[in-house]
Amino acid sequence: MSDTLSTAALSTTVAGARSDESQADLRAGARAMVPIVLAYAPLGLLVGAHVASSANPFAAWLSTWLIYGGAAQLAVLDVLAHGSGWVSAAIVRLLVNLRLAAFATAMHPEWRSAPVRLRAAAAVMLTDAPWVVARNRAHGRQRYYLGAAVALFVVWPLLVSVGVLVGGRLDTVPVASLLLPLTLGAVVVPQLRQRPAAVAMVAASCSAAVTMQLSAGVALALAGLVGGMAAVITERVS
Amino acid sequence: MTVLLAVLVVGVGSVLFRLIPLLSSGRLPEGLTQAAGWAGLAVVAAISVRSVLQLHDASIPGAPVVAALSVTAGLVLAFRGGSVLVAVGVGGAAYLIISAAMAALT
Repeated sequence: MSDTLSTAALSTTVAGARSDESQADLRAGARAMVPIVLAYAPLGLLVGAHVASSANPFAAWLSTWLIYGGAAQLAVLDVLAHGSGWVSAAIVRLLVNLRLAAFATAMHPEWRSAPVRLRAAAAVMLTDAPWVVARNRAHGRQRYYLGAAVALFVVWPLLVSVGVLVGGRLDTVPVASLLLPLTLGAVVVPQLRQRPAAVAMVAASCSAAVTMQLSAGVALALAGLVGGMAAVITERVS
Repeated sequence: MTVLLAVLVVGVGSVLFRLIPLLSSGRLPEGLTQAAGWAGLAVVAAISVRSVLQLHDASIPGAPVVAALSVTAGLVLAFRGGSVLVAVGVGGAAYLIISAAMAALT
């Protein structure tokens, strides 16, 4: 009887410790996003400014959740603002967002055994920054990712909404165009410490420079292919 | 109407890109998931490079070069452990300072 009680007490303690650990991972993920969210703030305001100047501001604002990615959202609105048809705008951006399939595929092994609703939530909130920051995490990666993803998922629409109201002036500031490469670059650059990742990023950067005249969708799809293949070859050779 | 159509098509497509791999119950080959991770990083790097090379700023000559130098300054800090916020601040400040210096010289 006493053995049963102590086993039950031990189970409760272990479960409690695991729960504390999960909470800590969630909070750590959200904390990791704080500087990134602050760095994203001008970009969010800029996207909001483009939403406000769109031919259909409500539809453009809805894209904050549907497209959920500053670069893609900005690009769709830009392509439409320059008079291109919606089909070409959609194809270009779908190709740009093809990277999300790569992110989700990379997450699959760790998430395969997670409950479906958790996987669905992780997928809906998936974008560049939470995915990259979670890649650097050695343990408790699922909860860490969720903490990071929820933080951005809550704040990003708020930033865009504020940008709709006050972001109009940002568009004329040249440095605003640097915010996207600086923010994304700063998130991803620590991955250069891993050799295959470094090779992938250098190869993709060269590809992006060479294919600059191509449309964004084709150029980025090519960059992903070149980078991925270069990393695979590096991994096999070393 | 065209904005709504574009948003819906890209939005639904983007959600499917995210959902399908994560909701599939079968085991994906390890090589595929690993390569997908590297390809994802590669695309993020390519987006950054493309944004810098396509920067337009009529107020200074050689804006993409100035942008590349400024972004490099920020990213070196990030690589050495600086926060994203610091990297963005330093990169942005470097661009403004170099732009002002070039404007004063020309």
